[in-house]
Order: sequence, then structure tokens, then C-alpha cells
Amino acid sequence: MGAYVVRRLVQAVFTIFGVMVFTFLLFRVIAGDIAAAHLGPKATLQQKKDWAHQHGYDKPLFINTGLEKHKHTVPPGEPWEIRIEAGAPENVSIGGAPAHTVAGVTLVRTEGKRIIYQVAPGEYEFTVRTGQPWYDSQFVKYIVTTATFATRSIITNEKLYSIIVERAPYSLALTVPIMAIGWAAAMFIATIVAYYRGGLLDRVGVFLSVLGMCIPYLAFIIGIQYLMFQIKPTMAYGLANPFNVFVPVGIGVLAGLGGNVRFYRTVVLDETRRDYVRTALAKGLPLRVVMFKHILKNCMLPILTNLILTVPFLIMGSLLLESFFGIPGLGDLLLSSINNRDEPIVSGLTFLTALLYVVANLATDISYVIFDPRVKLS
Amino acid sequence: MTETSARTETNHLQDLPQGRSLWGDAFHRLRRDRAAVASVIVIGIYAVMAVAASFLHDDFIASKNYKLSNQPPSAQHWLGTDVFGRDVLLKTMLGAKVSMTVGLMANLIAIPLGLILGALAGYFGRRVDDVVVWLYTTLASIPGIMLLIALKYAFQGKVLFRGTPFALDLGGIHGLYIALGVVSWIHTCRVVRAETLKIKELDYVTAARALGEGHARILFFHIIPNLLHLAIILFSLGFVGAITAEVILSFLGLGVEVGTPSWGTMINAARLDLVVGRWWEVTAACTAMFFIVLALNILGDRLRDALDPKLRT
Repeated sequence: MGAYVVRRLVQAVFTIFGVMVFTFLLFRVIAGDIAAAHLGPKATLQQKKDWAHQHGYDKPLFINTGLEKHKHTVPPGEPWEIRIEAGAPENVSIGGAPAHTVAGVTLVRTEGKRIIYQVAPGEYEFTVRTGQPWYDSQFVKYIVTTATFATRSIITNEKLYSIIVERAPYSLALTVPIMAIGWAAAMFIATIVAYYRGGLLDRVGVFLSVLGMCIPYLAFIIGIQYLMFQIKPTMAYGLANPFNVFVPVGIGVLAGLGGNVRFYRTVVLDETRRDYVRTALAKGLPLRVVMFKHILKNCMLPILTNLILTVPFLIMGSLLLESFFGIPGLGDLLLSSINNRDEPIVSGLTFLTALLYVVANLATDISYVIFDPRVKLS
Repeated sequence: MTETSARTETNHLQDLPQGRSLWGDAFHRLRRDRAAVASVIVIGIYAVMAVAASFLHDDFIASKNYKLSNQPPSAQHWLGTDVFGRDVLLKTMLGAKVSMTVGLMANLIAIPLGLILGALAGYFGRRVDDVVVWLYTTLASIPGIMLLIALKYAFQGKVLFRGTPFALDLGGIHGLYIALGVVSWIHTCRVVRAETLKIKELDYVTAARALGEGHARILFFHIIPNLLHLAIILFSLGFVGAITAEVILSFLGLGVEVGTPSWGTMINAARLDLVVGRWWEVTAACTAMFFIVLALNILGDRLRDALDPKLRT
């Protein structure tokens, strides 16, 4: 048991590390010129450089070698003055030799950390020894700040952690009722439908749940919001009245009902084919008792597993519901961060959902071992 | 004496009812199933619409006529017109084109990828298995819609192989194919790996190995052909996922390029129209989506019933 838990924990750590590597590659390596996206298409090269420096996007991606290379090409004619931030002249070299000993380069003066050279026409590659440690790279910083939720928004410079604390309650107020009510309603309908299996009620129930599965989520939202505008406009948007939250909750429950009823019904029916059910019926117990006392208990495990795996959506809230009903939760934050190209927030939220998923999965696996004696550890 | 007995045996065999292969049997079952036939017809109609839409109008996006803006359904425009005065019926058909292509392309990426990686992982086990399983658990731990959003976010404004005939517009529809492919191979891989683990222990695989056949031959001639029925089932279900995801992503502005007619962009453009009584554009997009999703769901279920003998009761 202990060994199993430890092994699953180690696996979870690997998965989480994998997610970090993946999001890093996605948001830092694949995603293009983030400075241009923020400064607009007319920004100059120097502005972009400054922006990247300010936000740490100019650091080496994976490992800091402690060396910086600057290429300078001086056109024929007058010699140029070139300024290099290096601290001391002995940190600057060209092709292994100290820069000022190379032909065509003369040391003019130093201004604090800045060293000024006069350079004759030609091509030069200056190597600056920065003395930065190897871990001073984007990757290491990314891992550390992501794991501690210490990333800061590019737009507001707020810490991700405090944003989450501020916004998560709104998402939870939306999704906890959706999950709880949705689960209870689907369970109730599925049991009744399974009880009358093969009958008219069952067929109507299955038909309706297939229909419900196929109606687009957006259609549910737009349709019901429109109805609310007709019936009671004050409840159709915003959170002016705390009761308003019941409209999106209702939509969330309704939209998920079809798929859940169908899944729970299958689980219940699978269970009714088992031997203990036949035995119970054979010894004369009424179907009602067998259904609600024996079968339901045994169905709970697969159903709860399924439920736990939806936990990541809990915190994200329902993206679409939040944006339609003006609820300032995390889903709304994600959408606005995408529009503002607020990379640290988007990647931080992606990591958050993955972390929740991994933890939920771990909890399920461990609870299986605790609650189901048939599950063997291998 | 021997000759006669051989002949009787042949006659005896001829008397037996004609056997059917798995595929022949499945085809037969599906043909008798009215719901499955109806779904195939619906899917066929959408495919025809998708192809026809490209021939009906040369340049739909630019064909703006503000005099015809926001007209309700009439004999001339069966589903009315949008804010730019363009025919909503034609727009819906072009949306079908986007949806069908996205469904097809995403699965053409996801299914072979999942099939091959899953079979390799299940067959070779050990290190190969560890790597593949780690890869898909990592990707699977980011919820599907989040992963899609993250991928499309990173792809914004990227064009691969710019200037060549193979230019891939990652910010637009090509990125959508890839993102959906990356998300949906996971499920295929998981199912295929589990099935391969079972198949590789079966007698015919052991026999092939005893005959000295190489790994590649066993994999491609004995194992993968026996997984193809799974691929077909997963294809039909993956199609549904791709279509729904495309609509949501396009709605959020992360799907097809801005201005391309798609059901998601239609719903986004007209989301506030309902309040002022312009119901036709939203309704057209939602209804079109409803029927294709319904048909694909039913077909997927029926395919599973027909092709997976283990589920038969």
C-alpha cells in the first residue's frame, strides 16, 4: 500500500514536470514574438529589446552559459563608437583575446558598467563574460515561478496567486452547484430509467438524453439567456442579485444532463447483469429494493471516479458561462488573458488545471485501493 | 473409397451456410439498421453540401451588399441574410465545409498517430511503453479544451513554410487540424495500447513469432489489421469531438481565420442578434450542428455494436 502510494506520487511528479516542460515549449519556444504583440507593429527593435529585457524574455532559453555574444558590423568609412555593458574591459573578448588588444578596436573610456570602444570598419563578434550562473535562464525561472504560482501578469503586474484567490470563489460558486445538482439529477433520472429498462419511459429517456447530448452548449446558453431577457431581464446578466447565479447553474446542469444520464444508465445496467442481483431477485426481493439498496451502492465507484475527473473544470468554471453571464471567475480571466496576450496568466492557468487533474486522478486511484477490496496492487 | 469420402466432405461443407467476415457481417448489420442508414444519409448530405458550397459562390467573404443587410427568411434567401447582406444558407453550407474538413483532417492526424504509437507501446512494452504512456498522460492531464486553447494561443500568427506551396497557417485552420490532432490521438492511443496488450498474447501471434516472423511483420500484418475496427469506431466518435471543439474555438476567436464562415463564427457574430429579434443566423448554425452531431453519435454507437463482437449480447 505504502509502496503503491509512493510510486503513484513519483509518477505524478513526473507528469507535472512534463506538463511544465510542455507549456514552456508551447508558450516560450513556439509562441512567436511576444514583444511585438504587446508593443504593436510599429515598435522599433530597441523598444522590443528593452521590453524583452524588462520581462526577462531575453535570457537564454534553457542554460545560461555565462557568455553573451554581440555581433557588430561597422560600414566602411568613419570608425564607430560601440557601447557594451560588461562591467570591466577584461570581461570583453574577441575570438579569445581581450577586445582592446584586437586590431581596429580601441578602448575609449568606461562609464560605470558601460565600456565604450572605437571600432574601425569591419565585422566583429564581441563575447562578454557576464558571470551569470548557469541556472539564470528562462526555463528555470519558468519552472520555479509556475510551481509557486508566483508569475506576474504582464498587463497589471499582479501575482497569479492573488488573482486566483480573488477570482476562484466566483468560479466555484458556479461549478460546485452545477456538479452537485447535475450529479444528483442525472443519478435520479438514470436509476428510474434503468428501473423501467426496455419500457416506454426508458426509451423516451434515452432518446431525450441523446437529443440533449447533441444540442450545442452554445445553443443552450444563448437560448436560455434570451428567454431570461424576455422573462426577467435583471436576471439575464451580471451578479447584481446573488440569485442570478442560478440561471447559469441551471444551464450547466441541463447541458450536462444528457451525457451523464446515458453514462450512469449504462453503469447501472451493467451492474444489473451481475450474479448477486440474480440471486437477490431469485430469493424474492422486490426489484425496487435490489435496485436502490444493492445496485446503487455498487455503482457509486465508477460514477464517483467519473465525477472526480471533472474537478479541474471546477476551478476553471465554465468558460463560456462566465463570459456570457459576466461572472468574474477564472474562466473569464482566461478568456481576457488570451485576448490581451497575457502569456504568464494563460500558461499559469493551464498549469493549474493540469495540476488539479493530476491530483484528482491520484486521489481516485488511492481511494480505489482503500474502498474497493477487489482492486489488487500490482 | 478415399475419393468418395473426400467428396462427401466437400458436399457437406457446401451445405453449411455461407460464413461472413467481420467486415461483411458488420456491413450487413448496418444495412439492416434503419437508424444507421439514416445517419449515413445525413452525413452524406452534409458532405455534398460542403462540396457544393465551394462551387456555388466564388468569393463569399467579399460579397457584401449592405442593401440586403439582416433580411428575415424569404423566398429568395431561404434562411435570410447576415449583417453584410450575405445569404445565411450559403454561409451555413460553407460552415459545413469547415466542420467536415476539420473533422476529417484532425482524425487523419490523430488516428494513425494513436494507432501506431499505441500498437508500438503495447507490443514492445518496457521503455517504449514508458515513453508513450508518459507522453500521453502528460498531455491528457491538461483538460482537452484547455489544451486546445493553449495550442491555438501559441500558434497565433505563425505560418510554417511561408512562401512554399506547403505553407501551413498555424493561426488559422491548419493550426486547428494540428491542435485537434494533438488532443485527440491520446484517446486512440490509450484504447489501442490496451487492445494490443491483449492481442499480442493470442495464439496466432505466438504462432507467427514461432515461425520466425520479424517484429515489423507481426505488428503490421497481424496486430494492426486486427485493430482497424477500433480505428473506425474512434474515427466516427472523434469526428463529433472535432466538430464541437471547432465551433467553440471559432466562437472564442481561436479557430478559423477571422471572417471565414464557420458555425462558431456565425454564432459569435449573431450572439446578440436574438435580443433584437434576428433569430435566423444563430438558429441556422445551431441546427446544422445539431443534426450532424446527432447523426455521427448514432452512427458511432451503431458501428460499435456492429464491429465489436465482444459487446454483442
